[in-house]
Amino acid sequence: MSTGTSAEITEAPRAGRPSGRRVTSLEVLCVVLVVALFGQDQLVRWLDAPAVRTASTIFVAVCVQALPFLVLGVLISGAIAAFIPGRVLNRLLPRRQVFAVPIAGVAGVALPTCECAAVPVARRLMQQGVPSSVALAFLLAAPAVNPVVLVATSVAFPNNPGMVFARLAGSLGTAIVMGWLWARFGKAEWIVERALRRAAELDGRSRWRLFFESSRADLVDAAGFLVIGGLTSAVLNVVIPRAWVDSLGSQVVLGVFVMAVLALFLALCSEADAFVAASIAGMPLLPKLVFLVVGPAIDVKLFALQVGTFGKRFALRFAPATLVVAVCCAVLSGLVFLGGA
Amino acid sequence: MRRETQNILLVLVGGALLKISITGAYLQYVKPSHRYWLLGGGAVMLVLALVSIARDLFGKRATEDPEHAHHDADDHDDHDVDGHQHQARSAWLLVVPVLAIFLIAPPALGADSINRADTRVATTRVASGTSKMAFSPLPPGNPVPVTMSDFSARASFDSLNSLTNREVQLTGFIAVQGKDTYLARLVIACCAADAFPVKVKLAGGDLTGLTNDTWLHVVGRLRPGTGTLTDEYVSTLDVRSITRIHQPENPYET
Repeated sequence: MSTGTSAEITEAPRAGRPSGRRVTSLEVLCVVLVVALFGQDQLVRWLDAPAVRTASTIFVAVCVQALPFLVLGVLISGAIAAFIPGRVLNRLLPRRQVFAVPIAGVAGVALPTCECAAVPVARRLMQQGVPSSVALAFLLAAPAVNPVVLVATSVAFPNNPGMVFARLAGSLGTAIVMGWLWARFGKAEWIVERALRRAAELDGRSRWRLFFESSRADLVDAAGFLVIGGLTSAVLNVVIPRAWVDSLGSQVVLGVFVMAVLALFLALCSEADAFVAASIAGMPLLPKLVFLVVGPAIDVKLFALQVGTFGKRFALRFAPATLVVAVCCAVLSGLVFLGGA
Repeated sequence: MRRETQNILLVLVGGALLKISITGAYLQYVKPSHRYWLLGGGAVMLVLALVSIARDLFGKRATEDPEHAHHDADDHDDHDVDGHQHQARSAWLLVVPVLAIFLIAPPALGADSINRADTRVATTRVASGTSKMAFSPLPPGNPVPVTMSDFSARASFDSLNSLTNREVQLTGFIAVQGKDTYLARLVIACCAADAFPVKVKLAGGDLTGLTNDTWLHVVGRLRPGTGTLTDEYVSTLDVRSITRIHQPENPYET
């Protein structure tokens, strides 16, 4: 019974192809639901191991926590598509990308949400004709430099006010450097064509239609990838032994490395990561700062979203570069604001 | 994937978010203040799906302008080429959280998370150093109810020793580690993924028969000299009484 459930899921995409016209995805969905309903007891029994239970709770928590932010993101993105013509956006930004990139980074302050919301918005900005370097700077800055995150950071580190400035500088630096790097070395063909396809200019009632339709389509696309991110993060959360993180003690260099990897895999919400970082005992501030700068810029959840939104070729280049730049910016910023403490 | 299927999935996911935020089950996963986000997010998902369904049902006949007709056709992935096909497949994954929420309904994190976490974590998120500081005095009352995280922080870092000679009531669940029995609680900042364990070792009293994840009110006193570097900031409570309770509505401290 329950083996049927997973088989149905893997089989499902085939039904969507033109060749599989006899069975539509609608019918497949019905079968999946009915099978799952009847196999409920079996499913629950399967998942009864403590580790699996913990992981499934974390999975649902990540999804439940992030979905509303993703909804907000697609609404903003839909509104930009429908109501803000591309030329207005471009008039607001300086012509030269060198200057437009930092402005987009600072504009991230205006979107006080988790990182999931920023991905659809960034794609929409590209579709509206904003240079991709500028949109990417916004993508990296928005989750990290907004007021909610900075306040959370200052609450989590009451004895180290420098942490807030260090985080701000590190994250903004990452966004701007990545924007400039993309402007210099990035190639438009790395981004899948559909992400850049321009929406037609519309007016009146069709604007609303476009708003609803593009929000809905964005949501369906992105939410699936969010689920991948949630699954990955849940598994890693259970598998990674926290013990070896805490046992590092005061080794700064190793700490920086481990904390960057941890930020990548835990995929925490940027409003919560400061508390997690603060709670790791005996770790110097610099690795903690690396954790805070890397997390909102790139993690498994964001990587999955980027693959879905911009394509694999883009994500495989952009994500590792982001990681390296984020670590460097965090270390530099830490040396300036925290005195390397 | 067909548009109709996508809409149904959106209805299911939106419905799942609304369901857990209305029944209170959301507290197993996220902090209380997240409720409004869930209600809003779930409602918007439903509206987006319903608008699309309504348009599919009633809009077809009314459309004359070619642009609209084209737009609709474009959204049927059955007719689309390459890119969209790949993209739409990911939407199938939305079935996973729907099934997880409606059928499995994972419980709140418990003793497994405590035992999985390192034993040597700091006792509080806020006290990021190991330096002592002055805590505000405890409210009156005997026993005085205190959160687990507050108790641990005071036990280890209060320069004014506000717990000395005070009887406290703690609420938490049992986590057994080897021969020791701990009262534990998870503290979350945002969602269960960032849960952070707090625990207090129980001493004295009748601890036999207490199994993992049993929820308790425990009244007792801080054993002086515990909660220091030597016991890795896990303080000990001399137990006076134990009462079994149901899991609180909000299983986490925030």
